Amino acid sequence: MPTALRSKSFIALALLPALLLFIVFVIVPVFWSAYYGLFEWKGFGATKFVGLGNYREILQDHIFWRALRNNLILVASAIVGQIPIALLLALVLLKNTFFTRIIRSAVFMPMVLSTVVVGLIWGYIYHPQFGLVNTVLEAVGLGSWTRPWLSDIHVNMLAITIPINWSNIGPYMVIFIAALQNISPEIDDAAKMDGAHKWKKLLHVTLPMIWSTVVVTLVLCISGSLKAFDHVMVMTHGGPAQSTELLATYMYNNTFRVYRYGYGSAVSTIIMIISALLIGINYILTRKKAD
Amino acid sequence: MELRTSRPTVKSPSNHFLGKGLNGLGKLLLLAYAAFTLYPLYWLFISAFKTNEDFFNHPYSLPLVWMKENIVRAWNLGHMGRAMMNSTLVTVSSVILTLVLGILAGYVLSRFQFRFKKVVVVLFLTGMLIPIHSTLVPLFLMMKKIGLLDTYGALILPYTAFELPIAIFLAIGYLASIPREIEEAAMIDGNGWWGVFGRIIFPLCTPIVATISILAFLRFWNDFSFALVFINSSALKTLPLSLALFSDGFGTDYSLTMGAMAIAVIPTIIIYLILQEQIMQGMVAGSIKG
Repeated sequence: MPTALRSKSFIALALLPALLLFIVFVIVPVFWSAYYGLFEWKGFGATKFVGLGNYREILQDHIFWRALRNNLILVASAIVGQIPIALLLALVLLKNTFFTRIIRSAVFMPMVLSTVVVGLIWGYIYHPQFGLVNTVLEAVGLGSWTRPWLSDIHVNMLAITIPINWSNIGPYMVIFIAALQNISPEIDDAAKMDGAHKWKKLLHVTLPMIWSTVVVTLVLCISGSLKAFDHVMVMTHGGPAQSTELLATYMYNNTFRVYRYGYGSAVSTIIMIISALLIGINYILTRKKAD
Repeated sequence: MELRTSRPTVKSPSNHFLGKGLNGLGKLLLLAYAAFTLYPLYWLFISAFKTNEDFFNHPYSLPLVWMKENIVRAWNLGHMGRAMMNSTLVTVSSVILTLVLGILAGYVLSRFQFRFKKVVVVLFLTGMLIPIHSTLVPLFLMMKKIGLLDTYGALILPYTAFELPIAIFLAIGYLASIPREIEEAAMIDGNGWWGVFGRIIFPLCTPIVATISILAFLRFWNDFSFALVFINSSALKTLPLSLALFSDGFGTDYSLTMGAMAIAVIPTIIIYLILQEQIMQGMVAGSIKG
């Protein structure tokens, strides 16, 4: 059967390059880091098998817990800061007019900028001497509020959340606009005929209609916040005194600053496990919702 | 999770939160918010054309004298030209590789039945959930072993590998809308599967090629973490990596750093201004899928 044979060879040849590349660079590393996590290794010389020693050390390191807490701060700020603002903007910018298009493209714009540029600009905005934040505070007579925003350990995590929210509101707004425009006009009209007040309508008609989209954005907020790395790397390197350390910067600093490859691999595996757990929890929650 | 590639189109004017449209105050608030979003970028550009003295004395006013020296110095001294060439080379190669491999694999997965198909699909799906940063250390060690570290390949191959799942699933979703009869007719005309793919399917995929390219371009062009870990020699540094190091090296030369950032940002801004509708829709489609 020459044709069947021919399709077989096509399937193999067409699929193999993608599959191979993907397995080697995405799947294999997962197992490598799990394996290396069992060793103490400086990147050269002998490797020493330490079993679960690295994991024990990680769980006893208070910096690791601080990094996890900082990641959770980012998750919370994304959920509180990005989703409501994006939804509000979507509601008022729903109509396609010249004005709404201009505002939409302005709001979305930071998303296309490199995270390094975002980190650097906001680093300057927070600059203690010439930064915009302190300048504005001085100008409105709140000079006592000025501070080095990124090195003051009481406020620096909060300061970091703002540029991240600033760049991420745009995509959520567009997601919400798409969802809102899919609500059938009949439902909308029915709600209007019932004389529903617009806030009531929002709460009882609009929100339930786009609830699945809200769930999607929640998932994206969680997974996006766990991936955070670039902004912090550029603005603070995780400092000062490791006060802004995130899971990813903790992994990076342990591996490439103090050359503990085994330890860094173990942290990588833990990041993987935490994401898997969160995705799993979310899967269970959203499936219940769908039933 | 569902996927939407359709553009938002207004189905009915009544489908609107504020019924009669925005009032003056609402418009003013929105303009203020838009100004807040754009201000950092505006500040970047005015500062890029200032002397350091001017920048320190009046950081928020327009330049006393508009000068292009920072841009020129950043381009020469900071090797931004070299960085831009590296970024272009790496981004273009990875985008092409992603398109060809992704659509080819998507085509096979959408049209053929074979034994391990389910396994392959699940594998790609799982891949989308793997956090990129957790692969940095093992990839670094692996590439060190095979001598790939500090080459263009050290970026091109992982970029493509991580973008493949999104490309594949976007392609599968799109190909579902193309009727099989077209291929059958082409087969009768004496084309093999490769001919059908090259002459019929790939050209039909133009809309999804655009979406995949936009997503991949932005991801690769702006990537910082892979470049930071896998590239060491200054001849191979991409724009984001050069910028990050630039600010360390020329820490107090603020207007020079601003000039370097302006260089890095201009290509993306231009592309955004031209393709903003497609970029918005593409990023939304990709982020919902991913």
